[in-house]
Amino acid sequence: MNLDHIRNISIIAHIDHGKSTLADRLMQMTGTVTAREMKEQLLDSMDLEREKGVTIKASAVRMIYRYEGKEYEINLIDTPGHVDFSYEVNRALQACEGAVLVVDASQGIQAQTMAHLFAALEQDLTIVPVINKIDLPAAMPDDVAEEVEELLGVPAEDIPRISAKTDVNVEAVLHQIIEQVPPPTGDVNAPLRALVFDCLYDPYKGVIAYVRVFEGKIEGTPRLTAMTTGKVLEPLEVGVLTPAMLVTNSLAAGEVGYIATGLKTLQDLDVGDTITLAEGGATERLPGYQPLKPMVFAGLYPSDADDYGELRDALEKLQLNDAALVYEPETSQALGFGFRLGFLGLFHMEIVQERLEREYDLDIIFTAPSVEYRVNMTDGSVMTIDSPAALPEPTKITSVEEPWCELRIFSPSEHIGTIMDLVTKRRGELKNQTWLDTKRVEIACMIPLSEIIVDFYNELKARTRGYASMDYTLDEYRAADMVKLDILVNQQPVDALSIIVHRDDAYHKGQRLVSKMKEIIPRQMFTVPIQAAIGNKIISRANVQAMRKDVLAKCYGGDITRKRKLLEKQTAGKKRMKMVGQVEIPQEAFMSVLRLEEE
Amino acid sequence: MDSIPSPVDPFGLYIHIPFCERKCPYCDFNTYAGLGDLFERTVDALCAEMAGRRSRLGDRPVTSVFVGGGTPTVLADAQLEQLMAAVHASFSLAAGCEITFEANPGTVDRDKFGCLRSLGVNRLSIGVQSFQPEELRFLGRIHDVEDVYRAFDAARTAGFGNINLDFIFGLPHQEMAQWQDTLGRALALGPEHLSLYSLIVEPNTPLYHWVATGKTDAPDEDMAGELYEATIERLAAAGYVHYEVSNWAKPGSTQPPDAVLMPEYACRHNLVYWRNQEYLGIGPGAHSHLRRRDEQGRAVSRRWSNHKPVPGYVRRVQQAEPVEDFAEEVGPRLSMGETMMLGLRLVREGVERERFQALHRCDMEEVFAAQLRDLQAWGMIETDAARVRTTRRGLLMGNQTAALFLPDEAVETDALEAGQH
Repeated sequence: MNLDHIRNISIIAHIDHGKSTLADRLMQMTGTVTAREMKEQLLDSMDLEREKGVTIKASAVRMIYRYEGKEYEINLIDTPGHVDFSYEVNRALQACEGAVLVVDASQGIQAQTMAHLFAALEQDLTIVPVINKIDLPAAMPDDVAEEVEELLGVPAEDIPRISAKTDVNVEAVLHQIIEQVPPPTGDVNAPLRALVFDCLYDPYKGVIAYVRVFEGKIEGTPRLTAMTTGKVLEPLEVGVLTPAMLVTNSLAAGEVGYIATGLKTLQDLDVGDTITLAEGGATERLPGYQPLKPMVFAGLYPSDADDYGELRDALEKLQLNDAALVYEPETSQALGFGFRLGFLGLFHMEIVQERLEREYDLDIIFTAPSVEYRVNMTDGSVMTIDSPAALPEPTKITSVEEPWCELRIFSPSEHIGTIMDLVTKRRGELKNQTWLDTKRVEIACMIPLSEIIVDFYNELKARTRGYASMDYTLDEYRAADMVKLDILVNQQPVDALSIIVHRDDAYHKGQRLVSKMKEIIPRQMFTVPIQAAIGNKIISRANVQAMRKDVLAKCYGGDITRKRKLLEKQTAGKKRMKMVGQVEIPQEAFMSVLRLEEE
Repeated sequence: MDSIPSPVDPFGLYIHIPFCERKCPYCDFNTYAGLGDLFERTVDALCAEMAGRRSRLGDRPVTSVFVGGGTPTVLADAQLEQLMAAVHASFSLAAGCEITFEANPGTVDRDKFGCLRSLGVNRLSIGVQSFQPEELRFLGRIHDVEDVYRAFDAARTAGFGNINLDFIFGLPHQEMAQWQDTLGRALALGPEHLSLYSLIVEPNTPLYHWVATGKTDAPDEDMAGELYEATIERLAAAGYVHYEVSNWAKPGSTQPPDAVLMPEYACRHNLVYWRNQEYLGIGPGAHSHLRRRDEQGRAVSRRWSNHKPVPGYVRRVQQAEPVEDFAEEVGPRLSMGETMMLGLRLVREGVERERFQALHRCDMEEVFAAQLRDLQAWGMIETDAARVRTTRRGLLMGNQTAALFLPDEAVETDALEAGQH
């Protein structure tokens, strides 16, 4: 198709501002899918995404639309909605020339939107703002339009006011896309350069690369190369997404489509890589590529040791469509055989956890997440560790360095005080504060990554009544006085409860952990001491008093079945506990390390 | 069903009277208030059910009869006579058969007890629950403290020489002094038997709802433990033998209290339960247990229970339909677990090795080697050539001890089709 008739766009929005609904509407309107075929929020295919109100995996769809007598091809590229996936968002935006900015008419521009918007502006995208949800009683479309005008310089009166849900004025969005977003450019005769903006594993076709061709073309199914990994691809087919895969065996500069790469695992192809021809290909890849790097690590164990095999199978399957997930086997004295997992961030970890439980029906235990520390040893060597268990003895360590990140928080200005309080509590330092308008502010600060991976986002949301959002990027390693805090139950250290903490926080966290354990660990037949220790030094202690009696002094008459079932239930409950030093520790104990800050 | 044919084996008969003048808020038994219209038809149905069971049990002698509820004494004298006549018509009672009636101090007088005596009833179980007026109010009892004294006196006057008193301890905020006062008053009456149960908050009771909504505090488990231990001391000092978790009885005049394994006044009917022996339950919601031998000669239990709602029970009996609505087959291994679970409640007697061997045709020591070894190492049980029984500590941790003998996972017993027999 003539490049002038192609538009490549993304939709960017704060969570719940109606991105998916608008996408659905556009697809219906262009006849891409009929109402009958339309599942609710087609682009968010996984239940989990729907529930969390975010899109985890990007996908793309080609829509055909006639406007003023000409036929246009609009490629809509979906973007994931969370900070953990900012790299994927950036690659998706890189594949576009324009972005539709959806703003909720009742809520106005939200901080989360800003992060994506800035990313879009950085990629030089043309922004098409749209005010959505004008059907809501609380809608203030004119006020919001003025906000948007102030932000983008687009005249307020030119901004479409729509309701994607009730199908009001959505056509105007299509018109603006065609009129405002520039068509793609690119030399169709240059050597092929196609950006991989997403990957997906298809059980029948293997790894599917979603690509935007910037230069050159693919005719048929020639041998291709992924420029970073050097992997040679022998494609099964090449085509476009309608959204079903339609084989064209032809993609040219400016177009968006897919390549069934013939690769067997997602690990063979990275998002952000450039695909070129194996023979006579380009020499320089497109900008923006970064290898995926896990930033957060946690142990994962089956609740029931018998489920180890199932857990391993589930992880293998999960990795098929989650290239960012890495894992290796790990063992714990308390929890038995399990895995150490690496995630892009805490949110990514939550998603993996929920998917394992929901899609694979597994009962699992996650241990406290950790970041990757650099440990400078007395012998001059440097170790990197991502698990408290791996931290060497204090005498062998000269210093420990931990990753810091730049954290940007967008929030209504009335919450500045409480946000700064939170940041300071988590060892953060304010860098600067920028007023976005009279009501909103951007707070930039430096903060140790370890401080934001455990319950920071929830706390931020709670403190700002859900209005603040955040984005972070890894910055540098800094020296830190970190120590390993051990929890001993009945004199036995419980490895899965150890955490690496800053020495200044050790006392407070030790106390909290001990009192949490005291609440959670059921009373046993004997008194159980619970201690927090740094090395050999006990810093906190509490006792779980011995159970005085556990006998059913009740008359059950001849109903022996009931009595037996009561006892069996008690036994079944115990099976889900972990034995350490003759003490049954409920699984909840291992998760409670994640919620230390809650009152 | 084939029962194990041995004329000397104990065999209990339980008859359930599902009526009360008022339903107590803690009670989750199958009993109802305000069903006066149904008394007659229910008694007819009980009699008919007994008649129907007769043919299947042959002439197996009944060694104990227990009429419980509910409040059997809410029935009229004529109804009680009809009931006992049916017992004699349908079953042969062994010589010296224990016949117990439960009674509520608020529903009895000298005449009622006289009637029971004339019907051959030789044991009474009176539901006193407390001697503290405010506790009786909390427990929703229809009687007051004076009623208890009147009832006990009437029972003695009527000639009852084997009387049990039921009490409940561990009420929310109950203090040691109150419980000791209740115990003191109970002991002063000199009953032959005392059943002392701790208050359990059972689902689907008003008490459960009160606790759930914060109207009442939950009973304090630690306090209940303290009260229980104090009770054990006090009753021992008063010469009662603690023979089951919740039951104490006087030894016979020739029994030395310290060495006795089973006091003379122990409730023989309840011993049938704890020794994992057989019994037939008659009436709505009543439970039964009969045993057969499988191909290898091992004991397999069949447990079942009757339909609970009274009108439905009556209708089924009237229309000669099966009244069971739950039945399970307990296989050999689980049945052995039940023998341990139940027998370890018998404080002195415990589980006798010989009895176990006779019942299950295998050696307890072989089947439960690991459990017995661990429990002994933890000081929960003591064993000798004749028996296994709990220590004081094991008694207090009875649930944990018993649970060890049950299979690891809650086994699904073979649910039998209801009504099949």
